[in-house]
Amino acid sequence: MLCLFAVLLSPAMVYAHGAEIEYTVASSIEIVAKYDSGEPMAEAQVTVYAPDDPSTPWLTGECDDDGRFAFTPDMSKPGTWDIQVRQAGHGDMIHIEIEKGSVIGGSSSGYSTGQIVLMTVCVIWGIIGTALYFRRGKA
Amino acid sequence: MHVPDGVLPTAVCAAGYAAAVPITWYSIRKINQTGDPRENVPKAALLTAAFFVASWIHIPVPPTSVHLVLSGLMGAVLGYFAFPAILIGLFLQAVMFGHGGLSTLGVNAIIIGGPALLASFIFRLRGLRGDATRRSTGIFGFLASLCAIGISAALFTVLLINFIPADLDADTERHAILMLALGHVPLMFIEGAFTAFVTVFLLRVRPQMLTES
Repeated sequence: MLCLFAVLLSPAMVYAHGAEIEYTVASSIEIVAKYDSGEPMAEAQVTVYAPDDPSTPWLTGECDDDGRFAFTPDMSKPGTWDIQVRQAGHGDMIHIEIEKGSVIGGSSSGYSTGQIVLMTVCVIWGIIGTALYFRRGKA
Repeated sequence: MHVPDGVLPTAVCAAGYAAAVPITWYSIRKINQTGDPRENVPKAALLTAAFFVASWIHIPVPPTSVHLVLSGLMGAVLGYFAFPAILIGLFLQAVMFGHGGLSTLGVNAIIIGGPALLASFIFRLRGLRGDATRRSTGIFGFLASLCAIGISAALFTVLLINFIPADLDADTERHAILMLALGHVPLMFIEGAFTAFVTVFLLRVRPQMLTES
C-alpha cells in the first residue's frame, strides 16, 4: 500500500517543478559553405579557431543540409577567427575579424563569377594563341 | 579530384614534387627525341585549354557531383606531352580558380598525370595487331580513359584516407571520401565513352593527330 502511494505520488511531484528560461543577447556568426558548382556542402565538418590559439580547435561542428553553420564567438577574444570547412578532402577557410565586441569583417579566397569567366577567357586565349603560333611556325 | 592546400602533410607534398620532377624530365626527354618536338605543341596547347575548363563541367552523381578530368583523352592523344600539359593545366587551375593548390601541385600531377601516361601506353596497344582500326581505336580509347580515371580516383582516395587531419572526425570524413570515390565510377564510363568517340572521330577525319600516341 505504501509502494502504491509512492508510485502515484512521484509523477505529480516531478511535474510540480517549475521551469525557468533565461536569455542573453549575443551576436552570432553564420556561414554558408558551397562548392564552386553551387552545391551546398551538406554535413561538412566545421572547425573554428580562436585568435588566442589558432592551432587548437575552439569549436567543431557540422553544416546543415544547406551548408549553413552558426556559432557565437567569445567576444572577449578580439582578433582573427578562422573557420575551416572540410568535406572529402575539399574545403576552404574564412577569416573573420572581431574587435571590441563587434565583427569587423571577413575574407575568403573566393572569386566572383565575372572574375572567373574573365580569367578563363584570358587563359584559353593564351593557350590557343600558343597553338596558333606553333602552327604558323610549322607552315 | 584535386587535393587542395592544407590537407596533406608537408612531407607528402614534398614527395609529390620529388616524384613529379623526374616524370616531367623523362616526358620532355622523350618529346625531344621525336623528329620535331614543336609539331605537337598546338595539339597539346588546345588539349591543355580543354583540361583547364573541364574542371568546371560538373556531372551530378547523387548525393554528390564530380567534374570532368579528360586525363585519359590527353594521354591517348598526346602521349608523352600529356604529363607536362596536365602539369601546366593544374598550375593554372590552382592559381586562377583555387582548384587544387600550389603546395599540392606535385601530388595532383602524380594523381592525374601519372594515370594519363598509363592511358597513353594502353592506347598504343590498339596497333599491336597491325594497323589500328576504328573498332580497336574505340575499344582502347575507352579502356585508356576508364583506367586513367579509375586509378586517379583510387590514388586520391588512398591519399586522403591515410592523411585525414587530426582536427576532423575521421569516420565522418572517411565516409565522405568513400562516397566521393564511388561518384567517380560513372565518370570512368562517361569519360571512357567520350575518349572512344573523340579518338574514332579523329581517326576518321584527321588520323595524323593520333600518330604521336
